[in-house]
Amino acid sequence: MKSQTTSSASNEAASDAINRAAGPRWTYRHRGYALAQSFRQLTLRKWSSLSTLLMLGITLALPVLLLFAAGPLQQLGNRGVEGESLTLYLDAQITDLQGASLAQELLGQPGIRKTSYISHDEALATLTENSDVSDALEVLGSNPLPGAIVVYPDADTLEPVRLERLSKTLGKMASVERIQLDLQWVKRLHAVVELLRLLAWLLAGFLTLTALLVIGNTIRLELLRRQREREVASLLGASRHFLNRPILYTGALYGFLGGLMACLLAFLTFQALLQPAHELATLYASSFHLKMPTASQFGTVLAISTLLGLIGALGTLYRPSR
Amino acid sequence: MITFDQVSLEYQPGHFALRDVSFSVEPGSFTFLTGHSGAGKSSLLKLIALLERPTAGEIHVGPLSYSRLKPRQEPALRRQMGIVFQDNQLLHDRNVFDNVALPLIIGGYRFADIRKRVAAALDKVSLSHRALDAPLSLSGGEQQRIGIARAVVARPKLLLADEPTGNLDADISADIMQLLMQFNAAGVTVLLATHDKGLLDTFGFPQLVLQQGRLKNSGRDASASARSELQSRPLTRRPRVQRDSPVSERELIRRTVTPGE
Repeated sequence: MKSQTTSSASNEAASDAINRAAGPRWTYRHRGYALAQSFRQLTLRKWSSLSTLLMLGITLALPVLLLFAAGPLQQLGNRGVEGESLTLYLDAQITDLQGASLAQELLGQPGIRKTSYISHDEALATLTENSDVSDALEVLGSNPLPGAIVVYPDADTLEPVRLERLSKTLGKMASVERIQLDLQWVKRLHAVVELLRLLAWLLAGFLTLTALLVIGNTIRLELLRRQREREVASLLGASRHFLNRPILYTGALYGFLGGLMACLLAFLTFQALLQPAHELATLYASSFHLKMPTASQFGTVLAISTLLGLIGALGTLYRPSR
Repeated sequence: MITFDQVSLEYQPGHFALRDVSFSVEPGSFTFLTGHSGAGKSSLLKLIALLERPTAGEIHVGPLSYSRLKPRQEPALRRQMGIVFQDNQLLHDRNVFDNVALPLIIGGYRFADIRKRVAAALDKVSLSHRALDAPLSLSGGEQQRIGIARAVVARPKLLLADEPTGNLDADISADIMQLLMQFNAAGVTVLLATHDKGLLDTFGFPQLVLQQGRLKNSGRDASASARSELQSRPLTRRPRVQRDSPVSERELIRRTVTPGE
């Protein structure tokens, strides 16, 4: 009786040990096992994982900032050249009514955002106000100044080549006597903007490549650490997919968490810049407004960084020397 | 079950690990693979486990010819074997339960089946109560029993054991042997590599003797030829469970001899 009781207690203890030893159900499926192993490896070496993630986060932060700031900066660029315009000096015979009507007509043409007609009298008033030629004008007896149309091209047409094309098209109009356009200034501005943009994207590209290499190197170390586990699993009949899946998940996990870290850094940077940028814009009477990144932008960054992690892991797993 | 036909394994030109080895092992048999260190025992087991490919000859396991096997078929075939290593090859970053469960996870078993089978395997090696423990907290003998539980948990037809008692003292070695014999009695073909003369003398199973890569008692059926001799030999340590006795597997589990018994 006593031995039966002892045996029953021992069975219960064994059953209890089995129940407690088994992990969550999902970790015993192929994908769940791979994911659980990836998380376990990440948490086993907390400090090393954290420093890798920080490195990834900082490396990805600049490309992320560029991505988030691309919209507002584009706006700023466009606003910077908003004053850029072509002035069409009309034939002196064109009346104010005809000139205003022509300005209205031009508004419907592609590449033109806004037109403004300057009448004969407005031109004279401006000239009188800004110079000392009023006596000479009195001698002439009549207003010799022609009407003019100021044409503001749209954002796309501000590009020098397009602007030149628009200028030529408008110059062919019979009622237009002369066109004034400071194309040199526009060209210089665009060259500077293009150079800055190229530099920014090159830098972003290099940093993304660095992130890819960091992930690749982390995965290489991970492979070395897991070599024994992989060998044992292979001896137990694990397929290549089974062996590689935890490594791929680790790469994706590093990419995702690195992206999350970069998003956090970018968010904090935006938060810090919001007020100073607003103050600067106010000083320049600009309507420029630095907007906080949207949820979809964060989502895009996370998707791209996860993909980067996956590519880094794939590159390490399937590189030719392996 | 296993047939070697003129099998050679040459690691470097002129350096043969195995040379013209021919034998066959019957299904359900228990065979010792013996010879001095470097005689080629591990190489032979590696060939069966598909960890090496022969440079000459033909290997058959069941109906399968290894020469016609594609690399992607290897894992599936390996899953039908249980392998016990001298150094047990347990993973120290997980508990005993998860170590034993690994072949089942690899095999894609459902969680309920995994739980049931791991419990049964640990019960067979009398270590259910250590399921939660880390392998490093177990003794050498216990670790080896866990290694055996992991090897048999997917109920393989063939069990390969490479010096499973190599690092253990005589009593624990006898326990390990007892376990392997129980699985053999349940129908599992066992091929055990050892150079422990004590084991060979105590448990008189058929022997494949390797010497410098060649089979000394070579023949088409070394195990069968030795079987008649074996049956007349009494066991000196523990009674052998007869393979053809009408006892159930559950009954066999109950008969597991625990240390100190």
